[in-house]
Order: sequence, then C-alpha cells, then structure tokens
Amino acid sequence: MSQGFSLYLARDSGLHRLHPLTKLSLAATLLVAAFALPGPWSSYAVFLLVLLPLAAWGKILPGFLRSVARSVLPFAISLFLIQGLLWPGGSPVAWLGPLSLKAEGLAFALASTGRILMIVSSFLLLALSTRPDLLMIALAQRGFPSTLSYIVVTTIQIVPYFQGKARAILDAQRSRGLETEGGVRRRLRALLPLVVPLVLSSILDIEERAIALEARAFGRRGTKTSLQVLPDSRAQSVLRWAILALAPLLLVAGLVL
Amino acid sequence: MISVQDLTYTYPGATGPSLSGLSLTVPAGQVCAVIGANGAGKSTLCHALTGFIPHFFRGTLQGGLRVADLSIPDTPLAELAGTIGLVFQNPFNQITGARFSVLEEVAFGLENLGIPREEILDRCRSALELTGLQGLADRSPYDLSGGQMQRLAIASMLAMRPRVLVLDEPTSQLDPAGTEAVFLHLRQLASTGQTTVLLAEHKLEWVAAFADRVLVLSAGSLAADGPPRQVLGSGDLERAGLRSSRYTLVARRAQELGLASAAPLPVTLEQAVEFLT
Amino acid sequence: MRIIVEAVSYRYPSGVQALQEVSLSIDPSETVAIVGENGAGKTTLARHLNGLLRPQSGAISIGDWDARQHTVAQLSSRVGYVFQSSDDQLFARSVREEVAFGPKNLGWDSERVRESVDLALEQAGLSGSAGRHPYDLSPSERKFVALAATLAMRTPIVILDEPTTGLDASGVDRLSGIVWALRQAGISLVVISHDLDFSIEHVERALVMTQGRIVADGPVKEVFLEPDLLAQAQLRQPQLIRLARGLGIPFAPSTVEEFIQGYRRGRR
Repeated sequence: MSQGFSLYLARDSGLHRLHPLTKLSLAATLLVAAFALPGPWSSYAVFLLVLLPLAAWGKILPGFLRSVARSVLPFAISLFLIQGLLWPGGSPVAWLGPLSLKAEGLAFALASTGRILMIVSSFLLLALSTRPDLLMIALAQRGFPSTLSYIVVTTIQIVPYFQGKARAILDAQRSRGLETEGGVRRRLRALLPLVVPLVLSSILDIEERAIALEARAFGRRGTKTSLQVLPDSRAQSVLRWAILALAPLLLVAGLVL
Repeated sequence: MISVQDLTYTYPGATGPSLSGLSLTVPAGQVCAVIGANGAGKSTLCHALTGFIPHFFRGTLQGGLRVADLSIPDTPLAELAGTIGLVFQNPFNQITGARFSVLEEVAFGLENLGIPREEILDRCRSALELTGLQGLADRSPYDLSGGQMQRLAIASMLAMRPRVLVLDEPTSQLDPAGTEAVFLHLRQLASTGQTTVLLAEHKLEWVAAFADRVLVLSAGSLAADGPPRQVLGSGDLERAGLRSSRYTLVARRAQELGLASAAPLPVTLEQAVEFLT
Repeated sequence: MRIIVEAVSYRYPSGVQALQEVSLSIDPSETVAIVGENGAGKTTLARHLNGLLRPQSGAISIGDWDARQHTVAQLSSRVGYVFQSSDDQLFARSVREEVAFGPKNLGWDSERVRESVDLALEQAGLSGSAGRHPYDLSPSERKFVALAATLAMRTPIVILDEPTTGLDASGVDRLSGIVWALRQAGISLVVISHDLDFSIEHVERALVMTQGRIVADGPVKEVFLEPDLLAQAQLRQPQLIRLARGLGIPFAPSTVEEFIQGYRRGRR
C-alpha cells in the first residue's frame, strides 16, 4: 500500500493471520479493563505481559513501540507535569524552581498514563496488524452497514488526495500573486482563495465518484461476496467469545475488589 | 441492443432541453462513436443510456429509452449496474478508494453483484489481460499513471460483463501513449463482438480508425449517422460546429484546386496517402 | 525578458531525479513548446521558471532577477502560469472578480486593474460572462476564465500547461486566436503540450525532454521531422508531417495551405 495514511504494517505473522474481529475483541476488552482494573500498576503489567509479546509475535515490535511512544509520551509528559505541579495540598517530592511536584499528583498521573497506554496500544496493535479493508469486510459480514465501512476505508486513501489538491490550489494562487507569508491578517485573507476551490472542486469530484460507485453496483441490495477470504477457525471463534466475556467479569471484579 | 425513440430530456432548472427528439437504434456488437461540439449533448446521452438520467440527475425525460432489453426509466440504477457500464473522463474519480490493489479494485463491482469468489478471480484475471494490466495486479490503484488508471476503470467495468459499455470521452485527460493504449484495448474488446460499445470522443483521427459507425450530435439532436468515411468526410461536421481532421481538410483543398479526383474524402492517414498518390 | 536556465538539477523528496543539469535560454518574445512523455521533467522545469520549485544546483534568471531570490508571488509579476486544471484556482463569485485577483495582488490601482480585466475578458471572449459565477459556466469556459486571469496580469512571459485538453474544435480555435494575439504583443510563450498539431502551428521552437534531460532543442519544424526522437518521448509526429512522409515528401508543414504548397512542389 504505497499511498494512504493507514498505520498497517504488512508482515508474515500469526498475529496478522488472526481474524480481524479477534483482534478487535481484544482491543475492546482491554478498553474495558483499563477502567476496571485496580491500582496503577495493572495496566503497565498488561502492556508488558500481553501487548508487547503480541507485538513481538506480530514482528511489529519496533514500529509498535515507535507509534505508542509518539502517541502516549506527549500526554504522559503533560499529565505528569500538570498533575504533579497543580495537585491541591499534597506532599512535595521534588522541586522545579519555586514549584513543587506532589506525590499524589504524580501517582494520579501514573495511573492515568497507564490507562491511556493500555487503550492506545491495544488499538495500535489492531491497526498495525490488520488491513483496514479486511477489518471492514469482517464487520460487513456481521451486518455493519457497507456505506459506513466505505467511508472509513476510503478516508485512509483519500486524505493524501486532498492534501495533494490543497497543494495544487496553493501553487496556483501563489502563481497569481497571493502572498502566504506574513502577518495574521494576510494569512486570513489568503484563506478564501485556498479553501473555496478545495470545497467547490471536491463537490464536483464527489458527484463523479458517486456515479462511479453506482456503476459498480455499490447501491445494490442483497448479499455481497468477497474476493478476500478471511481465515477463521472454531478455535478463534471460541477465543473471541472468551475474550469478550472477560469484559463484564473484569467490570464486576473491579467494582468488588 | 440500444433503442432510443424521440428522446427529449431537460435538466432540472434548465431553460431548454439538452436532448431533443433523439432517435437511435444500435444493434448488438456494434462500435458506435458519438461526436459533437462541447454542449451538444454527448455526456447527456451517455448518462441517459446508463440510467443516470433520469435516476441520478432527475429532470424531465420523454420518449422511449431501452438498453439491453431494459426500459431505462423503469429500471432502478442498482439493477442496471452490471448490464450497462459507464467509463468517464476523469480516471481518478473512478477508483473506489476502498481497495488497496488493482486486482481487488477490479473485483469490487463483482463483489457487489454477489458473484462467487472463484468466478470473481477468473473474471478479474481476464479483464486485466484484456486491458494489459496483468503485470500490475498487486500495485496500489493510486500508484498508476493516468492512462493506466483509465484502463483500470475500463477493466473494472469489463469484469462485470456488461452487454453495453458507454465511454464518455475516456481519453480526454490522457497523453498520446495513454490514448493509444485505451483505443487498442477497446478495439480488442470490440473484436470479441460480445459487447456493444458507445464512445463519445473528440479525437477524430482515432474515431475514424476505430468506429463502425459515427453519430454527430448538434444541439441535442442527431445531425448525421453513418460509417466513418461518410460522416467524417462530409460537410456535416462543420455544420455541427466541429472540424474535419487535417487529412480530410487537405484532401478537400486538393480537390478544390483540381489536384485530386472526386473520390470520397479520406478520414484516416492511410486513406489520405492513397487519395493523394 | 530573457529566461536563462543554467545546469539546473532537481530531485523530488521521493527520490526521483526529475531534472539533470538542464540548461537553456529563452529570448524575449520567443515561443517554445516543451514536449515529452509523462515524467520527462517538462512540468518540473516549468515550475522552476516561476519559483514553485527551487533548483538544487544551478541557477535561473528571469530578466535581471535571480529566481532563487524571489518569492513565487513576486515572480508572478514576470511569469504567468496557466495550470492544466482550472478548477484548482476558481474561488470568486463572478468571472470579473476572479480575473481581477491577480492584478490586485500585484498592487495595481483600481483603474489599472479594471482596464486590464476588461481587456483580458475581451481577449478570452468572456466579456458577456463577466458577471456570472465561474461554476455556472461549462468546464471549457472555465478554462478560459483561468486563462484570462493570467492574461490580466500582463506578464512578459506566459507558461501554458496542456492548454488544449478538453477543448473542442471551436475551443481550440479560440485558444489559437488568443495565442496569436500574445505573440503579436511580443509575449514569450512556453507551451507544455502533448498536442503536437497545435504546437507546430503556434511555436517557433521545440524542446524534447526525456528522463530529466533535453534531448532536442531547435526550430519546431526540424525537431518534429525526427520520428525516432519523438518516438523516444512516446509521441507521434503531427498529422501533416506524417501525411507528407507517407507521400514521400519529407517536409514539415504546419498548416493545410503549407501542405498543399509543398504537395504541389513535390508532385512536379
């Protein structure tokens, strides 16, 4: 997949060969677990003992760690700083100039970061190891509306197209003397000649695209088949139910314990 | 295969009809070219033959319109897809964007039609071969040149085995190499005799070499209808706001100056060489 | 205004070496066609002329300006660029407003803007549509709006990128009239075009590019007489040249009349 901004990394691995819905169930259950599990350390444990090994199994460990770091670190840093510095009352453990970092704040940040880490990394694991179109086909087979799945999958490929179009418009307007560097007022005035062509020409494109889809029988009711075969097995099906069943169990456990 | 009787169509909100009293019969397997000035109604006719008029564009339609034994106004678009195919100018807008390889892109329409998987593979392979794209089956559809994308759009239609294929200026955005490839592959398709082809085009040199029959549209009506040499060599073109190809213009001038015989005017390079020798 | 391109090389971020040590100069009032297959570097070269791309080595001067020292907006007062896709720039509510955009950006007073817009509309045959919304016009009319928008900037150099795409015979006629008027006014024209039949009628000089290099540069009739050269760029010779060749008269007529004259001579 050359164009598009999907996160998918193609690998020949067991993780990749798992049915998309199996991976989606895991992400969904871990989302629930993030809120149900007690203490700040359980989410880190799940990350280390469940998600990292799965990423390694999927041969995407370096890419996985990179994506997780990119998504979670900014949050984590600001969380630690804000909660640490602004926690009302509390016992200071470190000083930053005249300001102090409070232990309670840091503990809170630790717990929140753990939750974010678990949620984000479980969905990243899904995105990095699953082709978006296959995920959509899997969902469509379970009754997910096809128009919705079309929108999701095409967004991945269409965004670079819009970026390209925006660049072309910028080039054209600059070639007509539009200055884009400079003060706020100048940049605001530059907005109209940049945004209007994007919107208007997109409308034309959308109409043509709708016609093309109709001509490919997209609007047809009735069962659709699929070229792609999604390998599945009874074992995986059982596994999916087991994983999903964990979610309410975890919720209960979290409330009781 | 195509039967149009006294067709008149007006776009919603338009002051006058875009097609007026158009009548046309096209037998199965024929390759028909439709030419005309911009605004003469070529695109409107293409949309009418494929059901987008009236189902997509609305407006008022009068007259008989039957394609592939289906009455267009009475058949919903979803049922026409697969029997009647449409390819248009902009290659990019015909890529669905929902599939990540050329092979899967071609399969998209067949999946929607509910064709069994094995048959999908067969049909896709032959459609890709017919358009010379078999080496690019694993490529991303967006990683193609304009000409290749247009051939992909054609392959995607061909896989659906339409009885009638309508093409609305398919080479307008392509370079000469892309144009030549499209015409060559259309010629191959036409030679199988299994598909009736209606092609709206500006490039008269190609039309002359390729079509069985040429229709001239002018202000929404048919101004001429006949074999290429007859239509493209006559004065009908100028009357319809078009211009004959340079081969014809040279031959006509030569005739006027007494440098050539009174034979029918040539419309292709080969005919012109013969005419002037 | 003279254009000088000196040993310019350019590689896209994707790694494609689009221009390899390209050098050329275009004199004031010269008309040049740049032809070549997709990916040959024609558009890349043209975009260097108005500053949209900056050379990674080599130099470009537009008149007495070093192109690298000026912004695209500044260069737009000397080099007008008519893009292939007119819809990528139309944004105003009326054709007149659209055409006035460029002149206003150049900082002209309202009287001068109005005069230039009126003239450009007339040249492009759009005087009757001045008050209409550009998107109410047909796609080929919109092409002429974009053309008028650049004409109104009165640049001494105009680049036309595939100007005949999508035009019918009367559209090509109209374009030919505009190009002829530009030539009469002494404007330098750079035409990027697949349409060799159109090019041979309107330019004096042709450049053939392939794989980032200029492989031919000379009078258009000479260059277009070389079938192998053009075949390298996946182009066929113009129709009249092919016809002359088929008749065994190797010359390069650019119009029907020229062909007839040559044909008569060849027959004697």
